[in-house]
Amino acid sequence: MSNNRVSRRQFLNYTLTGVGGFMAAGMLMPMVRFAIDPALQTKAEGQFIQTSQKIDEITDVPVKVDFTFEQVDAWYKSDVTEAAWVYRDGDTVIALSPVCKHLGCTVNWEGDSAHPNQFFCACHAGRYEKSGKNVAGTPPLGPLDEYEVSEKDGFLMLGKKIPNTLV
Amino acid sequence: MLNKIYDWVDERLDITPIWRDIADHEVPEHVNPAHHFSAFVYCFGGLTFFITVIQILSGMFLTMYYVPDVVNAWKSVYYLQNEVAFGEIVRGMHHWGASLVIVMMFLHTLRVFFTGSYKKPRELNWIVGVGIFCVMLGLGFTGYLLPWDMKAVFATKVGIQIAASVPFIGELIKILLAGDATILGAQTLTRFFAIHVFFLPAVLFALLAAHFIMIRRQGISGPL
Amino acid sequence: MHRGKGMKFVGDSRVKLNDRMPNIPKDYSEYPGKTEAFWPDFLLKEWMVGAVFLIGYLLLTVAHPSPLEGPADPTNASYIPLPDWYFLFMYQLLKYTYASGPYNVIGAIIIPGLAVGALALMPFLDKGPERRPSKRPLPTAFMLLAVASMVYLTWESVAHHDWEATKAQGVITDKDLGLLPDVEVDETSPGYEIYQSQASCIGCHGGDLAGGTGAPMLLGNELTAEEVAEVVKNGRGAMPAGAFDGTDEELQILAEFIAGLKEKE
Repeated sequence: MSNNRVSRRQFLNYTLTGVGGFMAAGMLMPMVRFAIDPALQTKAEGQFIQTSQKIDEITDVPVKVDFTFEQVDAWYKSDVTEAAWVYRDGDTVIALSPVCKHLGCTVNWEGDSAHPNQFFCACHAGRYEKSGKNVAGTPPLGPLDEYEVSEKDGFLMLGKKIPNTLV
Repeated sequence: MLNKIYDWVDERLDITPIWRDIADHEVPEHVNPAHHFSAFVYCFGGLTFFITVIQILSGMFLTMYYVPDVVNAWKSVYYLQNEVAFGEIVRGMHHWGASLVIVMMFLHTLRVFFTGSYKKPRELNWIVGVGIFCVMLGLGFTGYLLPWDMKAVFATKVGIQIAASVPFIGELIKILLAGDATILGAQTLTRFFAIHVFFLPAVLFALLAAHFIMIRRQGISGPL
Repeated sequence: MHRGKGMKFVGDSRVKLNDRMPNIPKDYSEYPGKTEAFWPDFLLKEWMVGAVFLIGYLLLTVAHPSPLEGPADPTNASYIPLPDWYFLFMYQLLKYTYASGPYNVIGAIIIPGLAVGALALMPFLDKGPERRPSKRPLPTAFMLLAVASMVYLTWESVAHHDWEATKAQGVITDKDLGLLPDVEVDETSPGYEIYQSQASCIGCHGGDLAGGTGAPMLLGNELTAEEVAEVVKNGRGAMPAGAFDGTDEELQILAEFIAGLKEKE
């Protein structure tokens, strides 16, 4: 027992560490929570955005559909235009994100004449099949993202991005 | 394990005397509030430094959201105060700390004055202290403008006008502070931001280092 | 001096006591048994003071959110500026006759410059060996006088300031937040032209009808045309009576225009 006695100096050191830790925590806790806030903020569910594309005019050939929405970036609000590759597959309408899964460049339908019926990314020659499935042996490691699709008054509506469900 | 790392470094750099000098120096009775309660007046310097540390930390964190730009400055402050978790607390710490640091520094100055601690051989440390006082007032003045709200702009207008009344070089000081001969706007804000966040803190660190080194070399003045 | 862990410190002051410095204060290593080590004994006491201080400080930030006024509008002519509280004594000083106008340089530069200069040069102005305030009456008296005048000037400025107005002029309005009511303003209507031609109207309620310092926003008001005409003629609250400059017909058109600025359902 006597070997484990806490000396006065040790006791003071422990207390000092405790008080110091309390002060550091009191100071830093609000600041750290403040700094990591973007990681903890829950974004509102993405709403469907109307496009100018008529549902009836969608064929089985992918077309690029631009759509604009108001993006709220903290204190900065701006209109952002994004695009989707839209085509018809039987009864369903498919909308694929044009953002390459390799490094985020933009892919184009039949962008390379050597590879018809494929999406092509000009940055690093990444290729995707029509379903968005990445062609093995090219840089991308996953299929293109998909947009949720809906219809209103005959026009195409696009919702939030989801992982590809076709592959 | 930690001891071995320490010994390894110490063997090469002989770091022990550096912290031993700080850790082991004896603190005399007359500044210790545990012996004489009236010695609490000797705490003001330490508390000033404590708030200064809080100011530096909270300021660093505030710049994660703040933009020094006439269009967005106010919006970003409004956003970080109302939308970001604990934004009100962090900005509050910086805002109230700015006032408290002035109060504490003023009390510290009065303590040093009335105990005659500025006398030989501590004259230089007193002068450095007055320098720190001026830098702190400068930080308060430049920081007041940054939220770019109504009181900020109008108080700064007055402040710059006062600077302009310096004989001969007043107009030059005014242009250099405001960034423009007539407009108080975009360039003023970026200048004040740079002064508040980079220039004055750099001067402050240098002066604080000199202040503390001198205290360690000369010790606290003896009892009255 | 030993190097390494074996080093020992005795006392504190490193300034050598010699005959060249006769007025150096007594080294407190001459008071044996009453000193204590900085780490951990004294630092613990300091940090306990610091922890109590920090709690009070955090409570202050929670209880009083830091103020933020509306975004800067340098064209606003009616705003009464006020510096931060620790510059209030300067602000008050500059109101006095011999510190303003042609004497501005006295109040703005000479008095503060002398004060700071004297403060910085204190060790050379007060060179005697005495440290007790009572044994050096002049420096003590000057410092007390300076502190007293700063307190007095700050007090004067606080007592004579219209805090209500300060509060009102800094309020963040819906307009500042970009939350204007959804009202369509017909800028070709005769009522709009009359409104824009009246300096007394746009001076307070703004050219964009969104109100201003102390004047309410006209967009989305809830008055009828008769009530508007009544208010324009007789005034209401801070609005003076008879500010309108024009014929009764024009007043009628204006009243109908303003009453028409209703928010869309």
